[in-house]
Amino acid sequence: MDIGRKLKFAREAIGYTLKKASQESKIGESSISEFENSKREPKFSQLSRLAEVYRKTIDIFLSDEPIIEDTVLWRDKPDSAESKKTEAEFKQLCEQYRRLEVLTDEVKECSLPKPDISKPEEFTFRQAELFAKKAKKWFHLGDVPIASLKRLLEEVYYIKIFYLEYYGSSISTVSNRFGPAILLNVKSKQWRRSYDLAHELFHILTWSIFRAQSAELSESEEKLADAFASKFLMPEESIKERVESSLNEQDQISLDRLDDIAREFDVSLEAILYRVASIYRFEKPDTERYVNAAKAYLELPKSRPSHKPNKLPERYCSLAIRALNEGKLSLMQFAKYMDMSYRQAGEYLAEDEDFKDEKISISIA
Amino acid sequence: MRKFQFLLLDAGPIIKLFELGIWDEFINRCDVTIVRTVAEDEVVFAGKAEGKEYIDFGLQPWVEKGLIKIVDVEPCEVKAFYENSNILDKYDIHPGEMESLTFLYRISGDWKFCSSEGPAFAVLGFLGKSNQGISLEEILQDIGRKQSRLEWKYAKKFREKYTRIGQIDSIQGKGLL
Repeated sequence: MDIGRKLKFAREAIGYTLKKASQESKIGESSISEFENSKREPKFSQLSRLAEVYRKTIDIFLSDEPIIEDTVLWRDKPDSAESKKTEAEFKQLCEQYRRLEVLTDEVKECSLPKPDISKPEEFTFRQAELFAKKAKKWFHLGDVPIASLKRLLEEVYYIKIFYLEYYGSSISTVSNRFGPAILLNVKSKQWRRSYDLAHELFHILTWSIFRAQSAELSESEEKLADAFASKFLMPEESIKERVESSLNEQDQISLDRLDDIAREFDVSLEAILYRVASIYRFEKPDTERYVNAAKAYLELPKSRPSHKPNKLPERYCSLAIRALNEGKLSLMQFAKYMDMSYRQAGEYLAEDEDFKDEKISISIA
Repeated sequence: MRKFQFLLLDAGPIIKLFELGIWDEFINRCDVTIVRTVAEDEVVFAGKAEGKEYIDFGLQPWVEKGLIKIVDVEPCEVKAFYENSNILDKYDIHPGEMESLTFLYRISGDWKFCSSEGPAFAVLGFLGKSNQGISLEEILQDIGRKQSRLEWKYAKKFREKYTRIGQIDSIQGKGLL
């Protein structure tokens, strides 16, 4: 694949027209077109600017390897132009994360739980439920899985999890280059993001089963992911224990108390209501009545605070600081990787006395 | 006074010279060359500070007056340099540095590259071209404009530290072959 074809591929991957690419790069539309059609070659500075605009590393335009776009799964995909831009930003972050792992010699492989079945058509709701139990056990998540789920996935299983503000819901991918990764929306409420995280975890864990057959996401697969997320985040025994210890003399539980349980499990009141309805086998009209009551309840001014997460994972930041101070990553690249100004970035550059000196290393022997 | 010749400048030192208010004096005393990616993009990015933009317009005014020289490098030259040097897996440097190092690699003469980036010096150490790296502190001293308060990244010791890292990487790399 020559530079021209790669430039065209990269521009289309981010959903830019020639006009938009020209506006963003301040390179003439006709010049970009000529580059893409190999009528003339860009200067290195022009190539560098286009790479930045297209959210690609310059290396891929210099290499002889073709550009490979990984399959990305969306929950509630917005219109094409917006989704392509978000995907490009997400993939860029993932590539940067992998680059940091390589530079610091921290590329880790991890083993994730796999379902006991191998064909998508054999995956039923019962299978999703059993798989949720198996995964919960595998990850040693305890009574309230969400409490340590994100940290565990990032720090022990090396799943790359980022937060951005964008249109649409969560995204996941499993790449041959950078491994499994999830993108969550900062604009979503915290409990919605928890649910999205578990939902995307299902896609990652079953990637080899479903993606072997199709790159496209089916409605039934989405329902299975929802079922998995529900069972995974709200284990039957834990929910029963909480609910039954909160019943009044008439064996009823108030919405207030149920909302407390939802907060503890970091899910919405509606999600826990559906889960309770499923566990105690409510009739459908009763469930709908309770859900309507919950909606009215939520309009009262006592909403839970929703924590705003950091865009970048802690491990990513830690590797970036290490790579910077080991002389593997330039300050300019560091600033871009960390989404900060060059001046701010300078504060992370340790003075001569680094902490790898033997005098200040901690002896374990 | 003798002029400092064959000097290739990276974005960090340029910004620092503007901050110190001695850019014009500096380019009078040094024959400065800058690669286009640094001059047009990275100086602008690096110059952006909270509430203040040092060089929000790039370096074109000084180019037009013939006070500094801007050079271009072809992508195929950068590609050849990186394929031959095998450094991409070891260091993540920004495009302006890739272009600067390629320029340095292809040009003859006693050129010096002034940077404030550890990996730039490490690459020079790795490639056995340590003598082509220079810190801002050293140049200012050479032209008789010594500054008392320069940050660590502009110091001679900084250059020496990261050059040594590159030299060690090179020795370790050879040991594995």
